[in-house]
Amino acid sequence: MPADILHAGESAGTIDQTMPALEMRGIDKRFPGVVALDNVDLTLQPGKVHALMGENGAGKSTLIKIMAGVYGKDAGIIRIQGREVDIKSPRDSLKEGIKVVFQEIALISEFTVAENIFLEGYPTGKGGSIDWKKIRNDSAALFKRIGFNVDPAARTGSLPVSQQQMVEIARALAHEARVVVMDEPTSSLTPNEVSLLFTVIRRLTGLGIAVVYVSHKLDEVFEIADTVTVLRDGRHISTKPVGEHTNDTLIQDMTGRRIDNLFPRQRGPAGTKVALSVEGLSTAKKLKDVSFEARAGEVLGFFGLMGAGRTELAKAIVGYDPITRGTITIDGHRLAPHDTRTGVGLGIGLLTEDRKTEGLMGELPVYQNASLASLGSFARLGFVDKAKERKAVQEYVDRFRIKTPGLGQKIKNLSGGNQQKVLISRWLMRGLKVIVVDEPTRGIDVGAKSEIFALIDRLAGEGLAVVLMSSEMPELLGLADRIAVMCEGRLTATMSRDEATQEKILNAAIG
Amino acid sequence: MSETTHPSPGRSAGSQFLGSEQLVLALILAALCIAISIAAPQFYSEANIIAILRQCALVLIVASGMTMLIITAEVDLSVGASLAFVGCIGMAALNATHSLALGFLAALAFGGGVGLINGLVATKLKVNSLIGTIGMMMMLQGGVYLFTREAVQNHHHIAAFTDLGAGYVGPIPVPVIFAAVIFAVAYVTLRFTTLGRYIYAVGANEKAVRLSGMRSDRLKLFAFVVTGLCVGVAGMILASLMNAGQPTAGRGFELTVIAAVILGGTSLFGGRGSIVGTLLGVLLLKVIDNGIIILGWNQDLQMVVPGVVIIVASYLDIMRNRANAS
Repeated sequence: MPADILHAGESAGTIDQTMPALEMRGIDKRFPGVVALDNVDLTLQPGKVHALMGENGAGKSTLIKIMAGVYGKDAGIIRIQGREVDIKSPRDSLKEGIKVVFQEIALISEFTVAENIFLEGYPTGKGGSIDWKKIRNDSAALFKRIGFNVDPAARTGSLPVSQQQMVEIARALAHEARVVVMDEPTSSLTPNEVSLLFTVIRRLTGLGIAVVYVSHKLDEVFEIADTVTVLRDGRHISTKPVGEHTNDTLIQDMTGRRIDNLFPRQRGPAGTKVALSVEGLSTAKKLKDVSFEARAGEVLGFFGLMGAGRTELAKAIVGYDPITRGTITIDGHRLAPHDTRTGVGLGIGLLTEDRKTEGLMGELPVYQNASLASLGSFARLGFVDKAKERKAVQEYVDRFRIKTPGLGQKIKNLSGGNQQKVLISRWLMRGLKVIVVDEPTRGIDVGAKSEIFALIDRLAGEGLAVVLMSSEMPELLGLADRIAVMCEGRLTATMSRDEATQEKILNAAIG
Repeated sequence: MSETTHPSPGRSAGSQFLGSEQLVLALILAALCIAISIAAPQFYSEANIIAILRQCALVLIVASGMTMLIITAEVDLSVGASLAFVGCIGMAALNATHSLALGFLAALAFGGGVGLINGLVATKLKVNSLIGTIGMMMMLQGGVYLFTREAVQNHHHIAAFTDLGAGYVGPIPVPVIFAAVIFAVAYVTLRFTTLGRYIYAVGANEKAVRLSGMRSDRLKLFAFVVTGLCVGVAGMILASLMNAGQPTAGRGFELTVIAAVILGGTSLFGGRGSIVGTLLGVLLLKVIDNGIIILGWNQDLQMVVPGVVIIVASYLDIMRNRANAS
C-alpha cells in the first residue's frame, strides 16, 4: 500500500523500503523526426529525493510524462517495487501511486481550494452524494500537516500563483502516493515558500515516498537531493550521489562541455557619463519614490524578491506603463511618460522578462523579429528593402552565433537562448543608449546562459548603460558594477560590486 | 505562413505568389472547376466566367480590407449592415447633390466613419471587436430604418452611376476593375511596405510592437478605417446594381466576407494570413454558388455547401501544418 499522508502514522510502514519505489529500464521514445529518449534508465529509492537535471530538450519532461502516463513509451519496462506495470494513461499512473505536479498550474480557478484538492476523486457519502464536509475537513487537516496556511474554502483563482502551486503540490498528496514528481516547482516561489516546500519534501521522504525533483537550479539540487541523474539529448549521462558532484561537474554533465567561468568579464570600467537618470518615480500600484542613475558602460543590477517591483520599474522607465510622479531622463532628454515611441526614439528599450507574450512574434520569421524596432531604417518611401534587411540580420545571426535553420524560420521554433539573442539583436539593430534587461536568462539553458551573460557584458563594453533586473543573486554579483535592492516598491540599498554580499543584499531585500 | 507572405529568395515567382499554404485551396478550386465543367460545359463560357467575376467583386473589395483587419487580430461584423446603410446614404446624397463625386464621398465618409468608430471602441474602450462590431451591426440595422423605411430610389439618373455596377471597360465589368485595383493595393501594402509588416507584427504580438516604439492602436485603427472605406466603395456599387439604396441589402454579407478570409488561411488570432488566399477563398465560394445554379441544384445548398467547405478546408490546413511540423 502506498503511503497516505493524511494517515501517516498508520500506513508509513507499508512501503517496502528494500525495493526500488520505481524503476524505468531502457526507455525509448520517438516523436516524428526526433529521438526524445534513447535507452534511459532511472531508479527511484523510497524515502529519497532524486534530482533529474538536463538542459531544455534533454528529455526530462518526456521521461516524467511517460511516468505520468501522458505519453506511452516505445520500448523499455517500468517496475514498481519489483512488479512490472503497464502505464497507459494518467489514470493508470495515479492508481500506481505516482503523482506528478507539472509546472503549468492545472487547477480549476473557479473552484475552491478544497474542491481542487479532491478533484481526482471526491469522497462520497450516503447515496453517492459528495461528502463536502469530509472534503473541507480533510483539506484543512492536510494543510495543517504540511504547514501550509491557506483557507480551503478560498476560491483558487483568487490566490497568488505561488500559493496555487502549493495547492497543486498538496493535491498530489491528498490521495495515496508512492512517488511524487515535481517539475521545476520553485520557478515562481519566494525564498520563504521554497524553504516551506523543502520542509514538505522532507516530510514526504520521511514517509518513505520517493521524490523526483526536476530543476535547473543547482543550489536547490545540492540542498535537497540525495541522488542526481543527468540527461542530455535524450540519453542518460550520469547518476551519482549528490555529494560526488560540484557545480562544475554538474554543468559539465548537462552541457557536455566545460564552462570555466560563467561570468567572463571583458569590459573595462564603467564610464562617468550619466545615460539614464530616474528621479522620484512612483506608480499607482507599486513604485514609491524611486531615484537612481545609470552610467554609460555600466551594468546596474536590481535585486528584489517576488513582488518587490523590479518588472514594474523596468516597464515604467521605458515608457510602457504610466507613472503617477517623477521624471525619467535619457541622455539629457526628458522622456514623456507612458510613451514607448519617444522612449525608443531617445534610445531606451526593454528586453522583457516575458519573452513569449511581450517579446516574440512567434508566428513570424526570425529576420522579421530581429528587425521590428529598426524596420524604418531599411525602408525607402515606405517600401522595405528586404535584401538590405536580411543582410543586416544575417550579420547579427553570425556575430551572436544564433542557431537557426534560416532567417525565414518561425522564431517559435528556436530554443530559448537563441530567441533571447534575436530579441537582443532587435535592440542593437535599432541602436540604444540604455537597455533595460528583465530576467534575461529565465527559462534558458545553463550553456546558453553564459553566452547571454557574455553578450550583456559586451553591451556595456560598447558603451550602453545596462539596467539588469534579476532574482538570481549569482547573476547580479557576477555581472553588475553596482547593485540596487528593492523592497515593496522602494529602493532600499545601493552598493558597489565590491561591497555586495549575498547576505547584505538579502537583508536589504527583506527591508 | 511566413513562407507564403514572405517567401525566401530563390523560389519561383509562381510558388511565391501561391505558396504552399494556398496550394491546397488552389487545388480544391481547380478540381471544383473541372468537375463542374464536366457536368455542365456552359460553366466555361465567357459570359459565365464574367458573371462569376462580377459576383466576386463586391466580396473581394470588402474582404481585402477585412484580411488586413483580421491579420491585426481584430474583426468587423458590421460590414453587412454598413453596406446597406452606405447604399442608402450614397443614393440620398446623389439625389440631393446630383454629383457622383459628392455621392461617393458621402458613402466613403459614412463607411470610413463606421470603421473609425469600430476602431475607437476596440482600441480606446478596449471592447473586444467581436462584441463591439456586433453592437455596431445592431445599431446600423436599426439605424437604417430610422433613416429610411423604404428603398431610396434613383431620382438623379446620372449615367456614370449606373456604370459603377453595370458598366464595362472592354469585356470587363467595372466592379471587377474596382476589386482588382483594391486587391492590388492591399497585396502590395501587405507584402512590400513597412506598414504591411507592422500590420502582421501587431497581430502577431501587440505588446512587442508597442515596446518597440510603435503605436499599435493606430495600426489597428488604420485597418478598421480601411475596412470601412472598402464597405463604402462596395455599398455604392451595390446601390448602382440595384439602382436603389436598399435598407434590407447586405444581410449575411459579413459572413461571406469573413468566410472567404478564413478560407484563405488567415488566422483569426492574428499575425498570419495572405491576401492571395483571400482571393482564392472568394473565388471558391462564388464558384460553388455558380455551380449550384448551373447544375440546377436546390439553391438552399448555396449556404450548406460553403459551410461544409469551410470546415474541410480548415481541417486540411491543420493537417498540412502538422505535416510541416514533423
